[in-house]
Amino acid sequence: MIETFYETLRRQGITRRSFLKFCSLTATSLGLGSAFAPRIAHALETKPRTPVIWLHGLECTCCSESFIRSAHPLAKDVVLSMLSLDYDDTLMAAAGHQAEAILEEIKKKYKGQYILAVEGNPPLNEGGMYCIQSGKPFVEKLKYMAADAKAIISWGSCASWGCVQAAKPNPTQAVPVHKVITDKPIIKVPGCPPIAEVMTGVVTYMLTFDRIPELDRQGRPKMFYGQRIHDKCYRRPHFDAGQFVEEWDDDAARRGYCLYKMGCKGPTTYNACSTTRWNGGVSFPIASGHGCIGCSEEGFWDKGGFYDRLTHIKQFGVEANADKVGGTAAAVAGAAVAAHAAVSAIKRARVNHAEENQGGK
Amino acid sequence: MGVYETQGFKLDNSGKRVVVDPVCRIEGHLRVEVNLDANNVIRNAVSTGTMWRGLEVILKGRDPRDAWAFTERICGVCTGTHALTSVRAVEDALAIKIPENANTIRNMMQLTLQVHDHLVHFYHLHALDWVDVVSALKADPKRTSELAQSISAWPLSSPGYFRDLQNRLKKFVESGQLGPFMNGYWGNPAYKLPPEANLMAVAHYLEALDFQKEIVKIHTIFGGKNPHPNWLVGGMPCAINVHDTGAVGAINMERLNLVKSIIDRSIEFTEQVYIPDLLAIASFYKGWLHGGGLSSKSVLSYGDIPDRANDYSAKNLLLPRGAIINGDLTRVHEVDLKDPEQIQEFVTHSWYKYADEARGLHPFDGVTEPNFALGKNAKGTKTDIKELDEAAKYSWIKAPRWRGHAMEVGPLARYIIGYVQKNPEFKEPVDMVLKKLDVPLSALFSTLGRTAARGLECQWAAHKLAYFHDKLIANIKAGDSSTANIEKWDPATWPKEVKGAGFTEAPRGALAHWIRIKDGRIDNYQCVVPTTWNGSPRDGKGQIGAFEASLMNTPMAKADEPLEILRTIHSFDPCLACSTHVMSPDGQEMAVVKVR
Amino acid sequence: MSLARDSSSYHDMATATGVDEAAVQQAPSIKSMYVYEAPVRLWHWVNALCIVTLAASGYLIGSPLPSMPGEASDSFLFGYIRFAHFAAAYILAVGFLVRIYWGFAGNSHAREIFTLPLLTAAYWREVGAMLQWYAFLRPYPNRYVGHNPLARLAMFFGVFLMTLFMLATGFALYGEGAQAGHWSHILFTSWVIPLFGQSQDVHTWHHLGMWAIVLFVIFHVYAAIREDIMGRQSMLSTMISGYRMLKK
Repeated sequence: MIETFYETLRRQGITRRSFLKFCSLTATSLGLGSAFAPRIAHALETKPRTPVIWLHGLECTCCSESFIRSAHPLAKDVVLSMLSLDYDDTLMAAAGHQAEAILEEIKKKYKGQYILAVEGNPPLNEGGMYCIQSGKPFVEKLKYMAADAKAIISWGSCASWGCVQAAKPNPTQAVPVHKVITDKPIIKVPGCPPIAEVMTGVVTYMLTFDRIPELDRQGRPKMFYGQRIHDKCYRRPHFDAGQFVEEWDDDAARRGYCLYKMGCKGPTTYNACSTTRWNGGVSFPIASGHGCIGCSEEGFWDKGGFYDRLTHIKQFGVEANADKVGGTAAAVAGAAVAAHAAVSAIKRARVNHAEENQGGK
Repeated sequence: MGVYETQGFKLDNSGKRVVVDPVCRIEGHLRVEVNLDANNVIRNAVSTGTMWRGLEVILKGRDPRDAWAFTERICGVCTGTHALTSVRAVEDALAIKIPENANTIRNMMQLTLQVHDHLVHFYHLHALDWVDVVSALKADPKRTSELAQSISAWPLSSPGYFRDLQNRLKKFVESGQLGPFMNGYWGNPAYKLPPEANLMAVAHYLEALDFQKEIVKIHTIFGGKNPHPNWLVGGMPCAINVHDTGAVGAINMERLNLVKSIIDRSIEFTEQVYIPDLLAIASFYKGWLHGGGLSSKSVLSYGDIPDRANDYSAKNLLLPRGAIINGDLTRVHEVDLKDPEQIQEFVTHSWYKYADEARGLHPFDGVTEPNFALGKNAKGTKTDIKELDEAAKYSWIKAPRWRGHAMEVGPLARYIIGYVQKNPEFKEPVDMVLKKLDVPLSALFSTLGRTAARGLECQWAAHKLAYFHDKLIANIKAGDSSTANIEKWDPATWPKEVKGAGFTEAPRGALAHWIRIKDGRIDNYQCVVPTTWNGSPRDGKGQIGAFEASLMNTPMAKADEPLEILRTIHSFDPCLACSTHVMSPDGQEMAVVKVR
Repeated sequence: MSLARDSSSYHDMATATGVDEAAVQQAPSIKSMYVYEAPVRLWHWVNALCIVTLAASGYLIGSPLPSMPGEASDSFLFGYIRFAHFAAAYILAVGFLVRIYWGFAGNSHAREIFTLPLLTAAYWREVGAMLQWYAFLRPYPNRYVGHNPLARLAMFFGVFLMTLFMLATGFALYGEGAQAGHWSHILFTSWVIPLFGQSQDVHTWHHLGMWAIVLFVIFHVYAAIREDIMGRQSMLSTMISGYRMLKK
């Protein structure tokens, strides 16, 4: 089961020739000159698997569950051949102080070398004691392990944005990872949960290319979060045709029309669901008849009902959507204008009348 | 607190204190502290829920039709079960009747979860409590093959298969990078399996990891994704279209065939791998019958899997419903979620405040006011706890009681109730296992019994999946393709103020949500979840919860290696993200959320 | 209005407030003045047409018409509605750019909608005067050749800033579909979406912006008609002919 990085590449069908080429390119790009290529090759041939510390804050473990659903590569191969999952409370054999000892060991032995994967987020209220681990606030553990990490992966919407426990009024003051760790590269892989193959895709990208994937402005890998679900939705032709499901289980629903009117958030949600699909490509929410709820978007819990097309706005005191706010304002304005016009007309009539009277004198 | 007796247990906290924090291989965050006597036998047990998220406060004022999505995020391991409970609660409040197909599909979703969750629990969360991975290196592949072939017809059982696996395992261990097996309790004398059984179990650990992702595809087909599939108040969102044009956008024959193939493979894996492994492992541990706890005294099940739609009475539920108290197995009490005298929650030892803490509160009237403080005998500080003081408040989990009794919930509770009700679907498999292992009925009330009941239920659920698949097809054949009732979809059709309760049997046990709806919005939302029952701290009368009771009187092979504690706690399949209560920052909101 | 000023300060005054007593003095001899040059007038009416198209199509994008029957290939209704929205938006954007150019190239009145003499007390005094006129507190308004000071305030916010806002949010949303690399994605999507947090919020604000423009249009049309009837200068015809007729 233990394989070096080289063996993993070979098993994935990469030839030795390509491998050596990769090494010399790496050497050149690092400005080391081609003489260093054999050294890099040697390092990769013998390099240990990258240690991963997987921490859990306030969460529901859906990200871990999703991760083990990966069909390609199999979660088994990721965990046993590609990286070294040295700490993950959900899977690890050890518990208590034996478990916590691993953190110390990895932190020292692989200083600056390990990847910190975070599922869930730290709450800050009550001294952080809404999430206690080993008798201490989770946020301390997070900061402690982040200090010597090479990079951080924020798994899922909890770690990336805050997700459900951070929905209004966020009673525990749960915050995403980047609010407490500001000095490390953070890769956000949002979704509730993220797609399994996207999770393993990000990890294998980092191991294969030995670099962090290109991120968008919000810190998400462009390769999986660069497009909206809507952009690649197979029901898109129905959208363009103006063919919509109007009610659950109506004829249009049975024909697979667009779910836009049922509140589908596909047009505003950046994720790979409509291309990668879920669970080995079996389906994705829209293909199974329910609109997208936008679970990979920041604050998606607080954008009004999941079945509303137009977002409810709460800033104006009463909860209403843009049409209600705007329509009401326009109606009030129209009424005001009419009233103003009426008063103007009366005034004008009076003035004219007075002038006529004056003229009569 | 010293020494006292409760529920037939003698608690004594005078011995050496052992702290296990975190308890790994569970959902969420749990801490356990025990006191050992001079012979390393557990004489006092304290379990503490150490996380909470506040979903209930968050739900207030939202659209009840959205509640399923919020509550589903209570737990991603038992994914979907909270969503189902939530839509049932809303439908109960609004008197919405769902179509027959929707009920059938929901049952299939719930049964899929049972199969998946039990399988993953056994192999990936629980097996390492029984299986010594390092010992597998010493196994003889040929004898492993013989063992495997003697207990099952499963094809992956040749000597070469086990030899390859063993070689990979050897290289893995020799690399020094043990990954998730690092710092395990390998070599602990509490491990009883011969090397061959260990090697076989490791092989199946990996096979199960590959296979579990197939089971959940049933969720993906009907709910669009897993974890966290989609649901709908009033039915299911997946339309059925098997005859007509456009069928590719709906549940059609190909989808139904895919479901069928997954069901067939699930039955096969359960019967050829899971159950044989379970029996093989159990046969080596049948001398270790600790961990019964409350199971022989008080167990509770709400029942689930309504055969026909919209009938939630006990006779229509395929999973048994009822309560047993005081160890009286001759009487199964009726359970009513809305009776204020039955289910009540206490906070004497929980980090909450009630005006009168001698009284319990029914979930419809739940109050959650935080009161985080450590007892005077606790060691450490408020943000660096070394030892808790169980004489004071010590957990974020409340203490739910059924007519004043601490209860155990879960597969074992369901099987005990089904057994005493003489339901052959539950009695016969239990008798079969007892006979095969050659142990008396009393052996059922143990850690091993809990683990066995889960395996049997996995098998039961896999077969029930096939039953509902046939039922779905028969109903479509009879001309009914309806999946949703939209009569009351529009909130304008709702009464001004209503309340309701919904329940399921989650893989871990009895789960219920209580909702109050006012002016089309959630006025109050409460969940009492399985791990709140099982992980309950003490109450005002000093009664201990199911986790705590199960640890009592268990001898530990090594005081420093909590293998036996993990084994018994894991047998409940704890889910701590669920059992947490909710609070508001200002302490004004009177609310509770627990999530299982 | 004091006339005891030297001519240069008087000119500044006219620029700030639009009060043009000098012109009015000559009113008997010049019955009208050329105010809105041809490009301004053309822009005004093209812009009006675009806004009507954008508002109507935008509303239908948010609240679509009842579902079309048949297969997807049978219809492209929603696509056409969206096309109308995008085409009108492009025309509006180009018109806006031309209009900005004309702010530099045209006469002084062509600049009025892009700037506000915020620090000029006289300007605010005249805004107050207009408010009094609308509140029926004075029998007659002052006479202005270009936009009256209140109208100028409304134009600056309701036309200039709102158009900027709608173009930025609108093209940010357009760029989402046009994909990374498209000019609209580079210029707008890349920063507008993160600024608002997520796409859905941008949709909501863009939608609210439409209603803000509807409000502007209601007041604008009413004020123009009313001034035409009750004020001391022509309005509607001015935007057609370009000539402001001054009344006594």
